[in-house]
Amino acid sequence: MLNDLSIKNKLTLGLGAIVAIMLFLLALAYNNSQKLAAANEWDRRTLKVLLESDHIATSVLQIQSATRGYILTGNKALVDPIDAEFDEAKGHLARATALVADNPVQQERLKQLGPMLEVWMSRAILPQIELRRSRVGVTGPAPHESTEAAVLMGARTVAALRKQINEIAAEENRLMTLRSQESAALQQNMSLLLTVGGGATIVLAVLIAWLLILALLAPLRSLNRTLGRIAAGDQSARAAIGSNDELGKVAVELNRMAQAIQDSQAKEQAATADLRAKVDALLAVVSRAAAGDLSARVVITGDDAIGQLGQGLASMFDNLRSHLNNVQKAGIQVTTSATEIAASSRQQEATGIEQAQTSVEILSTTREISANTTQLLRTMEQATAVADFTTSATAEAQGDLKRMDATMQHMVTATDSINAKLAALSEKASNINSVLVTITKVADQTNILSLNAAIEAEKAGDAGRGFSVVATEIRRLADQTSVSTWDIEQMVKEMQSAVSASVMGMDKFSEEIRRSVGEVRQVAEQLSSVMDQVQKLAPQFDLVLEGMQSQAVGASQISETMLQLSDASQQTVESLKATSEAVRELQYAAGDLQSSVATFSVSS
Amino acid sequence: MKVLVFHIGAERYGLRLAGVHQVLPAAALKELPLTPPYVAGLLDLHGTPVPVIDLTQLAGMAPSALRFDTRIVVADYVAADGSLRLLGLLAERVQGVQAVEPDLFSDGGVRGAPFLGRVAADGGSMLQLVEIEHLLPADARALLFPEAYA
Repeated sequence: MLNDLSIKNKLTLGLGAIVAIMLFLLALAYNNSQKLAAANEWDRRTLKVLLESDHIATSVLQIQSATRGYILTGNKALVDPIDAEFDEAKGHLARATALVADNPVQQERLKQLGPMLEVWMSRAILPQIELRRSRVGVTGPAPHESTEAAVLMGARTVAALRKQINEIAAEENRLMTLRSQESAALQQNMSLLLTVGGGATIVLAVLIAWLLILALLAPLRSLNRTLGRIAAGDQSARAAIGSNDELGKVAVELNRMAQAIQDSQAKEQAATADLRAKVDALLAVVSRAAAGDLSARVVITGDDAIGQLGQGLASMFDNLRSHLNNVQKAGIQVTTSATEIAASSRQQEATGIEQAQTSVEILSTTREISANTTQLLRTMEQATAVADFTTSATAEAQGDLKRMDATMQHMVTATDSINAKLAALSEKASNINSVLVTITKVADQTNILSLNAAIEAEKAGDAGRGFSVVATEIRRLADQTSVSTWDIEQMVKEMQSAVSASVMGMDKFSEEIRRSVGEVRQVAEQLSSVMDQVQKLAPQFDLVLEGMQSQAVGASQISETMLQLSDASQQTVESLKATSEAVRELQYAAGDLQSSVATFSVSS
Repeated sequence: MKVLVFHIGAERYGLRLAGVHQVLPAAALKELPLTPPYVAGLLDLHGTPVPVIDLTQLAGMAPSALRFDTRIVVADYVAADGSLRLLGLLAERVQGVQAVEPDLFSDGGVRGAPFLGRVAADGGSMLQLVEIEHLLPADARALLFPEAYA
């Protein structure tokens, strides 16, 4: 029940309970003090009553003494205060009566006092005073018999009065003793109440405080314990939810937080394990690569850093593999090339030696060339004469060709005019055709007309017989017309086909003429170009002559140059030997490169 | 007896000249939808509509070819109600009028089409008469010459 309350309510409830107990105690104490105050009031009144009764007694004594004094002295001055004293005694009596209004026994006693006083006054005091007054001027004691009665009576009354007053005082004192006992009991009660109540309050307060502490501290301790366990690394630690208050909610939130921490840590652990596995895989690949085995493949991919690292490594290994492949290939190629170079340099060496021998042969050949040149000069002169003859013959042929061209041109124009005439003929034949169509139509109409005429004639009977003959004749005419028209049509068609054959023949003919003209022109052009070439030949022959002469000079120069060339060849051979040496070194280097690259395995 | 000689296919046939009204060149005809295929169309004869029958097609052959001697023979036709109407016959190779002795005609003895009549041997080839009154089957007659218009 206490667990379902919030801390605020718990505190309010505990402190409220303490305050309520204290209020209850205060109420009890107040009640007791009120009772004590009332007892005090009663005591004071009792004392007042006692005082008043004392006053009455005093007044009675006063009156008695005044009366005795007067009797003894006869001094009137002593009588005067008696009335006043009596009045005073009555006033005191009235006040005392008023004070004991609540006590009927006392009141009765006080009421008896009044008549007693009156009796005493009227029977004892006043007769004594009267007696004395009657004996004014008389000294000495009064007659014994009269005085003695009054005094005795007075003494008895006073004794009664005293007895009454003493009774009253005794009653009041008894009451006062009773009350003081009561108040003492009250005071004892009060102190007992305060002691017990205070003690009870303290015990209750301690109990409530202990309960509150228990209610607040237990969950706090549990929370503290849980937090301590979580801090120490126990992820599964959970706070016990013992109450529904703020601390309970704190416990729930703490549990959620702990769960979240546990979850996230588990996730982190999984991620770390995954990462470690990927890094291990990468490390394995890289270790193999470090040992020279590049054949391992990187299989780690993904968008995260390690995935990108894996992809980067994969592409790096691919590149490395291809580079190494290339290097291996290049090594082999370099070795091959170096071998080839060595072979070719050896060949060159041999060639250089050969060249040196050849230059000696060239020397002898050059001498032969200068001898031949002289013979050539003579032959060239003969060639010049032949060229001159050719030039004149060609010019003559050109003139003939020009004449032929003009004749051909005439033929072309004649053919064109024939073509035009044939076209006109063809047009005319078409006109004839259209006329024939008209004639055919007329013959047809005539045929129908003759048929109808024969029908009409038949219908007319004998009267139409003559007409029938005419109709038959007309029909025969129409038939003949049709036949003739058909003959003409055939003839015109034949004529038209002959004309178009002629036109086609003429076209072919003129085409051939045109082609012949073109060919003739081409021949003429070729002839003129031949003539130009032949005319150009003479000076060229002169140039050749000059060239021959300079050739003779050049041949001797060649001999000299060949000597120099021979020396140079020797030098070339020397340098080729040096090259061979360098190539051998290159071969060794290529072999080293190949063996060092071969330590890498790139096949996957 | 005079007959108008024409051809159906390769054979010669004759029409009594007395029943022939007029011979016309093959002119353009107005086609008549929803009629038998041998109804060639409608001829405008000086404002009078005349139905034209293709004889070649009526004989169950290919339609008449339009040659120079293909003609429309307008003949008198006695309708079902007895009134005299005109009927056009599209005929191939209309040769002309020929006089044939009536004695030469004899019964062919074979019943082919209902409109074929007697036969005459004339100069080597046979000539058969065409009876125009039996030319049209009953349904075609009802279609072309309805009695309401009689």
